[in-house]
Amino acid sequence: MNQMTGIRTLADLKKKQEEVSARMNLRDKAENPASLVQVKVAMATCGIASGAKEVMEYLVEELDKRGIAAVVTQTGCMGYCFAEPTVEITLPEREPVVFGYVNTAKADEIIECYIKDGELVDGIIPQNYDTI
Amino acid sequence: MTDLAMHMMDIVQNAIRAGAETIGITFIERSKKNTLLFRVTDDGSGMNEESLEQLDDPFFTTRTTRRIGLGVPFLKMTCEQTGGSLKVLSAEGRGTTIEAVYRTDHPDCLPLGDIAGYLTLLLKANPAICFRFVYQLDASEFTLDSDVLKAEGIELQQAAMLSLVKQYIREHLHALHKDRSTESYLC
Repeated sequence: MNQMTGIRTLADLKKKQEEVSARMNLRDKAENPASLVQVKVAMATCGIASGAKEVMEYLVEELDKRGIAAVVTQTGCMGYCFAEPTVEITLPEREPVVFGYVNTAKADEIIECYIKDGELVDGIIPQNYDTI
Repeated sequence: MTDLAMHMMDIVQNAIRAGAETIGITFIERSKKNTLLFRVTDDGSGMNEESLEQLDDPFFTTRTTRRIGLGVPFLKMTCEQTGGSLKVLSAEGRGTTIEAVYRTDHPDCLPLGDIAGYLTLLLKANPAICFRFVYQLDASEFTLDSDVLKAEGIELQQAAMLSLVKQYIREHLHALHKDRSTESYLC
């Protein structure tokens, strides 16, 4: 937790940034924003108390590691306090889907099944029913 | 809420929802007085007197999705349980300042928690907002300004940078906290 990594100054950070950017350029950067997966982690009182931070950190790191182009951001309470932590995923050209009771294991399942293959997994919170 | 970092995320979330462009997050530890001041200042929409009066009522919220709002009542509870207090200043259209004082010589004082982790997530998730973070312990100080990071070309949208910035903050806070008085329950 407290290991010293030698990043003490802004100049150290800047140097690291150059290394990271150099690696990034090797990847396809010309992705069109509409093709990005949008991930929103609910981060209000209820979400925070249930561990939304660990889920959000996990999603940021794992989506990057697995090479999935995604934007991970935070949102407020969506009114599903009973099911926190909740995560809303919007795949390109699809309706948003909200998953409840997400921990890191569930987040892994969501990445592998839903984000990669579009297969629905347990724990979806039905919302916005369209009536005829 | 089991630590102060959680409160920080929660209260800053209120500032974001108030449409703030600049958010100040300040922690000030005073060894002689045995206090920790936690302050969030924003330039968002502010509150009228009516809302301000109801602020510490858990059954008051501006949301329509649910009828309770526990963020501020929890903050009030955790600072008052140490013998501290909560103060809120707000003017409609000008923004809000919320200040919680904790007694660090009280065993019920919450631990700080993962301030670095929550702060980097806030910076990453809200690139349009300017964050000014200050942590003071007596005469020593650590500051982090999101505008300065941007000017240095630090790109938090890259996951690899996120963990490096987190380490940077963590190391500085760790170095600061070495000077903390042994009477303090803060950890």
